[in-house]
Amino acid sequence: MKSLFGGFQLTKMVADPKIPAWRRNFQISFPLDISYIPIGLASGILLHAAGFNFFNTLLLSILVFSGGAQFLIASMLTINSPLLTIVLMLFFLELRYALLGSSLSKYLHGQSTLFTFLFAVSMNDENYAVNYLKFSTDKKFTPRYALQIEHWSLFFWAMSNVVGSLLGTAIHIDLTVVHFALTALFLFMIVMQVKNFLKIFIALLAAGLAIFFLVITKSTLGLVCSTLLASFVGFLIDNYLRRRRIKTHHKSRLIKMFKNPAGTPKED
Amino acid sequence: MEWNGMQYFLLVILCFFVALLPRFIPLYIFRARKIPKWFNEWMEFVPICLFTSLVVKDLFITKTYDFTLQGHFPELISSIVVIAIAFWTRSMALSVIIGLGLAFLLSMFVF
Repeated sequence: MKSLFGGFQLTKMVADPKIPAWRRNFQISFPLDISYIPIGLASGILLHAAGFNFFNTLLLSILVFSGGAQFLIASMLTINSPLLTIVLMLFFLELRYALLGSSLSKYLHGQSTLFTFLFAVSMNDENYAVNYLKFSTDKKFTPRYALQIEHWSLFFWAMSNVVGSLLGTAIHIDLTVVHFALTALFLFMIVMQVKNFLKIFIALLAAGLAIFFLVITKSTLGLVCSTLLASFVGFLIDNYLRRRRIKTHHKSRLIKMFKNPAGTPKED
Repeated sequence: MEWNGMQYFLLVILCFFVALLPRFIPLYIFRARKIPKWFNEWMEFVPICLFTSLVVKDLFITKTYDFTLQGHFPELISSIVVIAIAFWTRSMALSVIIGLGLAFLLSMFVF
């Protein structure tokens, strides 16, 4: 999930000590900030189409601050999901942040609860990637700097959401076509997630289960059922295979097949 | 169902809490301890299952929650193109823009 929302590069790995800290942090976060603008605009437009007003869009982008989550909310509102289903789906989507948080936690050792809280509120996939890289490569990088980087990216994200919301009021958007933008976005995320055959199998299982549960529950709650069940089956199979020492985490042969038409070298 | 401003506000607040908990609790607890391995491994499969379920709903499920194969034909064709573009270019912008354009053209002129 790391670079879902646009790639960015850290142009300067070693900072000039003469530059004040806030400007240095701004420079570090700048590539990320720039890549937030188009996605933030799209998110603002979609949230507007889903019925969010200016104020709620601003609030959501500050309080939730997650591209994937905001697209999910907009998407589920346009298919008339009940409030509880949206919140539940969001919870499962955001559970992955537990991974990010736990991998950064060692760098936050000794920080106050308030600081940890502030850090957690504004952490997301992208600024996590930047901060993790800085923490692991720059010894002078402090948690306070990391929080500043989070806040710079938050600022750009919230601003582009607000502008998107205003654009939404100014231009008329065909909802069926806008909706496919979300489908395409999710498809892209799926392709980025596929790293081995097990993932493809689990995706297909999730697809089958989604159809089954959606048809029998007649509600978007079916999405929660299929997500939980399929991911748990994936976890069980993965565990079983690992116990039998079969590597499933090598690069997908499917990818190699496309990259190298001459054939794939044997890996096991 | 038409929502009013207050319901949107409630949604925002609830979303804030469900988004905060997974970010805050592990960060808070695992500042000292290690995260359980099984949880990490399970979480690895959540995003792909969630996104697949959402896509399946958009492509194969009707508004009345029945299964359909041809109900969203332009989107279905565009989806195949999106997967191919995502696979080879790894670019989100290209995947979404080309997919969106194709879905739009197909629904306008072909189907």
